Amino acid sequence: MSIMEIIGGILIIIGSIFLFLGALGIYRMPDIYNRLQAGTKATTLGAMSLILGVGFLEPSWILKSLVLIIFIAFSNPISSHALARATYRRGHYPLILSDDKENMDAYQEVVPHEKEKEEKV
Amino acid sequence: MKKILVLLLLAVVGFYLAGTFFDIGFGNSHFVKNDAIKPVKDIYLQQTVQELKVSNAVTSIVVNFRGFDTLGEVTVLFLSVTALGSILYKKRHHVGERSVLFSASSIVTSGSKLLFPAIVLLGAYVFIHGHLSPGGGFQGGVIIATGFLLMLLAYENYSVSHNGLSIVESLAGITFVGVGLLGFMNGGTFLQNFLPTGELNNLFSGGIIPIIYIAVGFKVAAELTGVIYTVLNEKGEQNG
Repeated sequence: MSIMEIIGGILIIIGSIFLFLGALGIYRMPDIYNRLQAGTKATTLGAMSLILGVGFLEPSWILKSLVLIIFIAFSNPISSHALARATYRRGHYPLILSDDKENMDAYQEVVPHEKEKEEKV
Repeated sequence: MKKILVLLLLAVVGFYLAGTFFDIGFGNSHFVKNDAIKPVKDIYLQQTVQELKVSNAVTSIVVNFRGFDTLGEVTVLFLSVTALGSILYKKRHHVGERSVLFSASSIVTSGSKLLFPAIVLLGAYVFIHGHLSPGGGFQGGVIIATGFLLMLLAYENYSVSHNGLSIVESLAGITFVGVGLLGFMNGGTFLQNFLPTGELNNLFSGGIIPIIYIAVGFKVAAELTGVIYTVLNEKGEQNG
């Protein structure tokens, strides 16, 4: 067992753990924004680490795996950003348990909530 | 009365279907109980590797052994795109009046600028390597069309030239039929292979398969981009 195989195996195990935690977060978190951040961050790191591990195991694939990692690093956060923004615009607001609701939701200043929009009109 | 008829029909169909399945037996691949006759599966697999030198058996069947069928599929796609275009035709030229409620954020617009070439490159890779790896013309064309979908969603005023799309589509279709007709000139049949097959697992191998799949890729990409553009430019009811 060469050192490259050991590094690759460790990276694949780290990636699998992060992917599992991401799946658990999507199941466990209370509202869509928490689920998105659990899903996005964990699966981005998990998939990147897993692909890099495969690149270490098969050294001839390392260039392809680096290109894939760059692609994931761009596409995954952008898509989840677009999802979260569209959700907010459609009127699903974050679940806030604290009493200080106005200061917790800072995005409200940029995009007012639907009810306030109607009041202004 | 109607329900009884339906039940009767289902029972008859089910009886013969079940009989067929029992005839084949679990795990057997062919009807013939005599082992001396070679099933069609083995012939396809043998010819794919030995004569055509193609490692993807699905591609060799779809493009070479049943190429005429693929031409029919491409025609079906073309007809459905034409029908959709003719239904939505009158609302086509309202640029900027998409059925989109608000414009995309700057993260999405700048990100899609970065991702668009990568998506097109991936699509081209998939249909150029159709005879070596999973994928092919249809899949690669759909990937390229998703790249155009991303650009159309990100930029409100991004427009695709309809004339350019139809030129690409027609050229690809002509290439497909032309390659098929060239099979006649070498004394064969329609879509018969006339190019040297090269070596197994080489990019330049497989005879006419890469040429046809590149043509199919361009054709599918142009058609689906046209569909997306037409549907997005239809004025939505929520805009009034």
